[in-house]
Amino acid sequence: MLSIWRDWRRKCQANKLKDPDYKFLFSEPQDDNVYVCFDCETTGLNPKKDKIVSLSAIKIKGNQVLTSGALNLLIQQEGLISPESIAVHRIRNVDLQDGEIEVLTEREAIGRFLHFIQGYPLVGYYLEFDVAMVNGAISDWLGVRLPNRMIEVSELYYQQRLKEVSQSIAQPNIDLKFDSILKRLDVPNLGQHDAFSDALMTSLIFLKLQQPR
Amino acid sequence: MAIEQQSQFLENIPPFDSLSVSVLQEVASHLDVVYFPVGSAIEVNRQENAYLYFIIKGRVAEYREQELIAHYGVRGYFGEQGLLGTDNAEGMREFKVLEESILYRLPAEVFSRLLDSQPVFKQHFLSSIVEKLDALHQSMQLMTSTEVMMDTVCSAPIHPLVMLDGCVTLQKAVERMVEIQSDACVVELKGESYDYGIVTSTDIMKIIASGDFNENAILKDFANGPLVTVHEFDYLFNALLKMTKFKIDRLVVRSDDGLIGFLLQKDLMGLFANQSGLALIKIDQAENVEDFRRVAEQIDDLIVNLQRKGIKTHYIAKLVNELHRKLMEKLLTLYLLESICNKVSLLVMGSEGRSEQVLRTDQDNAILFEELSEDEQSKLTEASEQFSRALIDIGFPACKGGIMVSNPMWRRSVIEFSDQLKEWFDRPTEESFMYISILYDAQIVFGDETMLDRLREVLFKRLRDNPVFLRHFAKTALQFDTPIGFFGGLRSDKRGGQARIDLKKSGIFPIVHGVRCYAIEAGLKQANTHWRIKALMDSGVLDQDFGIELGETLNYFHGLRLDAMLQQKMQGRPDDELDNYIDLQTLSHLQQDLLKQAFTVVDEFKRKLQKRFRLHEVM
Repeated sequence: MLSIWRDWRRKCQANKLKDPDYKFLFSEPQDDNVYVCFDCETTGLNPKKDKIVSLSAIKIKGNQVLTSGALNLLIQQEGLISPESIAVHRIRNVDLQDGEIEVLTEREAIGRFLHFIQGYPLVGYYLEFDVAMVNGAISDWLGVRLPNRMIEVSELYYQQRLKEVSQSIAQPNIDLKFDSILKRLDVPNLGQHDAFSDALMTSLIFLKLQQPR
Repeated sequence: MAIEQQSQFLENIPPFDSLSVSVLQEVASHLDVVYFPVGSAIEVNRQENAYLYFIIKGRVAEYREQELIAHYGVRGYFGEQGLLGTDNAEGMREFKVLEESILYRLPAEVFSRLLDSQPVFKQHFLSSIVEKLDALHQSMQLMTSTEVMMDTVCSAPIHPLVMLDGCVTLQKAVERMVEIQSDACVVELKGESYDYGIVTSTDIMKIIASGDFNENAILKDFANGPLVTVHEFDYLFNALLKMTKFKIDRLVVRSDDGLIGFLLQKDLMGLFANQSGLALIKIDQAENVEDFRRVAEQIDDLIVNLQRKGIKTHYIAKLVNELHRKLMEKLLTLYLLESICNKVSLLVMGSEGRSEQVLRTDQDNAILFEELSEDEQSKLTEASEQFSRALIDIGFPACKGGIMVSNPMWRRSVIEFSDQLKEWFDRPTEESFMYISILYDAQIVFGDETMLDRLREVLFKRLRDNPVFLRHFAKTALQFDTPIGFFGGLRSDKRGGQARIDLKKSGIFPIVHGVRCYAIEAGLKQANTHWRIKALMDSGVLDQDFGIELGETLNYFHGLRLDAMLQQKMQGRPDDELDNYIDLQTLSHLQQDLLKQAFTVVDEFKRKLQKRFRLHEVM
């Protein structure tokens, strides 16, 4: 029932697509064992106003996190990155100006990202925000929002913990902070918060949550 | 940013640490992360699965025909045998995940490209145990390149040499010394008992004070010899040892072409600053047991420091034993009248005699004398008891077998001792084997060297008269099995979930005792196992390559054991309860690999012993 609903919505979206080059977004994934985990760092926390500064996406295939083929992008900014955000992701305004690293326009970067994710399901932690950021960038341009299936690791984690604690009488109090999940699942904390590390850690959380308990 | 983490990870893993940053980043960009739940198997032998794996988190065990060969922990890597083609095809290797694991995976073709383009890197995987150990020590030493101990003499300030003919007058010599600003001169002594002697400003002051100074006085009548020299490429700490041993504050530095200058103790002290040099001075200044106890603690700190810096254990042992001997010499003079002191010799025996004891695990010592009056004997008894007690207070645990000067059995005249020795030979028991071993390893701390020489002669003569004795003596080297399985894996003693190996029984003892047998047969005077091996190589008893391998293997065991003991000490275990076990799971991949190779060397040595002493006939 659910899949029929999803297919229908997918069709509606596909009809609105302004650029036929991006039709692949609506195609069935070639390998249903593949997922794409992604994370972005932004100028701030408001998807309506703020922009993506950097974006990393990593394919997960079976038990493998294909970091060697990861997509790591930096995006040119018109405005300035908020000081609060700089403190989190450590990408300063000056880092986007220096010539050593390739910095793309938003359109170019998102284009590459869309080619990378194809129709594969997306995996993330508070994925809604990251997807909203991408949608902000493509809604005017392509007229659609990301149609991909979305897998929220904090939700998977919540479900798993709920099963574990359901036997107890007390009301479950499940901590969904990123660091708490890492700790509980014994995933190495890479220490720094950049798009790549977060995507890698999220991929490992995802893999661990796939294991039957 | 992404690659940085991976290359930082690789950077800490030998031999990847030898790669340049750009090569490392190139390698890092090919790493993928893989996850394996507990109990799963990692297949590495299949063509399509040809990878080198590194453990980010977790634990993996390697099996061959169901036999456990190795454990890999964080930063361990595996799968290289298949890629190198060094895998002798018999028996499939299997890798099982003991603890859910996150690994990095490097494709085979990247690894083989690396081998082809980086000869040093490749060498690591193909080299023998000696080369690997050297590489390990070098990499550890590189981490602390400021270590002065291991610098060469030529890196210290060397003062210009004043070399004068023996017939030059004292007056001329002093003028020359003032001109060059040197406080000593080397004197050429043609046709005298030594080629060179030395005259220092202190000597000249003494000459002036005694009134012997006149304008005709010539150098050779006052020169002291022989000259104590050190090679310019020798280690600084060896120079310091020489100064301590000969109680001098100046060495003459030589190169391959001749003498080149002076090395002064005060300059060395400046360089060593807080380290061993200081401990030496403090021993000289110590006046009571409390002072000595503090010095002993400082020596322990020094050991930790040196070990951490990757100094080979036999150098540490040599230095520490020299300090301990110096301490004992000074300590005995606190309790014994000088007149009696001059008539006795103090011996250290067993591991201390061999200069192979690093942490003070027990004391084995004895006192020898020619003849003492009854009164002197009773004073010696009293002093010996005080001495043994003081050593315990300072932190040398008592010998459990009572092999200490406080025990009258180990405080005798040379004659009494010789009789005792003969008795041990006539009644060979396990105990007498042990006593003979301990005594043969003895070295004089101070006193008349010839007393010990005479005892050794008795020992050698008895052996010549009774050749069968040595065969029985030698077989004890084979009493413990080498912990290597049929497929070359380590066999450990499992206790409380720990996989552990007794390094002393399985590795150190067979080498030390085996070498002792060869040495005793050859009538060697040396006590240190490394020096014995060297002497046996020089005389052709052991072949060159095997001798070096045996020495390095012993060093490796000693190093591992020292690490483990320091660990126990840090956990608060008292000195006399330290054991010789090593926990296999705490060892890195390289360390386990080396340990396996080391035990293979032990096995080979045991076979040689068996052949040499025809042990199959006496087993």
